[in-house]
Amino acid sequence: MSVEVKNLTKKFGSFVALDEVNLKVDSGELVALLGPSGSGKTTLLRTIAGLEFPDPGKAQILFYGQDVTMIPASQRQAGFAFQHYALFRHLTVFENIAFGLRVRPASTRPAESDIRQRVDKLLQLIQLEPLGGRYPAQLSGGQRQRVALARALAVEPKVLLLDEPFGALDAKVRKDLRRWLRNLHDEIHITTLFVTHDQEEALEVSDRVAILRAGKIEQIGTPEQIYDHPASPFVYDFLGNVNLFHGRIHEGSVVIGDTTYAAEESNHAPQAPAVAFVRPHDIRITREPAPPRTFPARVIRSNAAGPFAQLELERVDGGDRFMAQLSKDEFQRLMPKNGEPVFVELMNVRVFGDDFSI
Amino acid sequence: MTPAASPMAQLPSPSGLRPTTEPPLVRRLLIGIALLFLTLFLFLPLASVFVQAFAKGIGFYLKTLSDPMAWSAVKLTLITAGISVPLNCVFGVAAAWAIAKFDFRGKNILLTLIDLPFSISPVISGLIYVLVFGAQGWLGLYENADKPWFPWLANWLNDHDIHIIFAPAGIVLATIFVTFPFVARELIPLMQAQGRTEEEAARVLGASGWQTFWRVTLPNIKWGLLYGVILCNARAMGEFGAVSVVSGHIRGQTNTIPLYVEVLYDEYNFTGAFAMASVLAFLALVTLAIKIWVERKNTALNTATNNHQ
Repeated sequence: MSVEVKNLTKKFGSFVALDEVNLKVDSGELVALLGPSGSGKTTLLRTIAGLEFPDPGKAQILFYGQDVTMIPASQRQAGFAFQHYALFRHLTVFENIAFGLRVRPASTRPAESDIRQRVDKLLQLIQLEPLGGRYPAQLSGGQRQRVALARALAVEPKVLLLDEPFGALDAKVRKDLRRWLRNLHDEIHITTLFVTHDQEEALEVSDRVAILRAGKIEQIGTPEQIYDHPASPFVYDFLGNVNLFHGRIHEGSVVIGDTTYAAEESNHAPQAPAVAFVRPHDIRITREPAPPRTFPARVIRSNAAGPFAQLELERVDGGDRFMAQLSKDEFQRLMPKNGEPVFVELMNVRVFGDDFSI
Repeated sequence: MTPAASPMAQLPSPSGLRPTTEPPLVRRLLIGIALLFLTLFLFLPLASVFVQAFAKGIGFYLKTLSDPMAWSAVKLTLITAGISVPLNCVFGVAAAWAIAKFDFRGKNILLTLIDLPFSISPVISGLIYVLVFGAQGWLGLYENADKPWFPWLANWLNDHDIHIIFAPAGIVLATIFVTFPFVARELIPLMQAQGRTEEEAARVLGASGWQTFWRVTLPNIKWGLLYGVILCNARAMGEFGAVSVVSGHIRGQTNTIPLYVEVLYDEYNFTGAFAMASVLAFLALVTLAIKIWVERKNTALNTATNNHQ
């Protein structure tokens, strides 16, 4: 276990940023901290780095078993990349990367030639060898982020902490850099925690994802686990588009309109109101009814731009509006017009009791 | 003055007039007023200082300046600036660093205290020092004081024959007080705008607080600091009110240039007074020149780093 956080609580005034958080990260793992703004993910990262201190109490932070809770940031040996890079604007790229080595006490500071060698190697790693003499202001956003990463890696940290590493970049650069980071991690295998509010990014890059909500970890697991088996309506909703169908629990099934779906969780009270969650790509549309699996609906609007076609539909019995995603093929076969009646079949229905909030 | 000019000027012209540009008439009028004001209130008085200074010829001018009293005034002015400016530099950086980089209780009170010397009259600043350090002052430094608050301090100062009021020490103290806000006020907004992340980055990379200050904070504020120091210096050399109260006007001992100018003027030695004033004006012009150079350097640096994006 390379990073372990126990009972971490942090309040800013009356605002509870972290509420008894527990987290374990394995050696060499890449873990994403995912959550909406204000969920405490950045505070958690900063606390692990030593830039914030947890509220006094039972809180403990361990690096490879060693308790670092009270050790200041300068001695924790964590690498930290800031959201807006925080490069030293008066130093060149080379000197930025060398900074962590140059400030070491004389007894542990590498020789000038070693520093040079190590920085050159890092410049090579981030593919910016020719730009060592430039100043941060002369670099693009993506280049700055890579320099920030190299600077953090130069001190050979025990753990790498990235705060919204791609947050300030445009979509194209984001995707490239995301893949680059994953490859880099596969190459150097350093335990990494990164904060993001972008679920796609978290699912694509990380080994495991921790989803935070209001200072608590709501669920943690591999991207597949949390996408396919969300533990709560919040996680379900946060990880992608979702449709909500209101119905009632009846003998272990949920009734939506005239259609019955088996509810996975059977611990609900009979006749309790329930909400079924269905992803847009788990909705099938047909012209012919196939009771009891289908219910009637009306097409409100359709949009076929992009790799998939989107349909907005409304239940005929006056209920919920919902979105469906069709492949282009299916859409062409169906050619739905606005206002037309169709029949809808739901798959992979997930039922939660009505006593939740998203 | 021509009525036809104004409706024409309001039309969007193909020569690229921006919508916020005023008609030429208005522009010329405004510039004219500004120039007239500057000439009457700034340039003419400055020019008259030099004209009056040489009214009795260069010989008299040199004689005035070579007077030992004049020399002692120049020396005291330079010593005062030489002590108060570096001290305020340290205080200012410390105060700005504390305010911009840390959150603590009473931050607003500290900010208000820093502005205090700006908001009260310099004469009152001088008076405060007389009341605190003077013969009958709170600290009761001299034998005839009724009840010294710190007898050991009074004794120590008496034993070593150190005087504060009507002595150079008081002049330096009063000058420090009056010029305190310049460096701090210059640096606080700059350091606040720069934020704390670079310092945080340095800390995470293993730098100590001292290393963080020398290697990260100071290089980032050096031009702002220099600018504050220049302003501080200008005021330190020119300060009259506060210094006048604590000085005692002892010729050859506690007269700074501004005070010596007043002494000469009161003796109806107008040409002499202007000669001394020209020295002060010259020092001010040198300061101004350095200030312009710093500003140029600063903007040149900024554009150089921003152009290569």
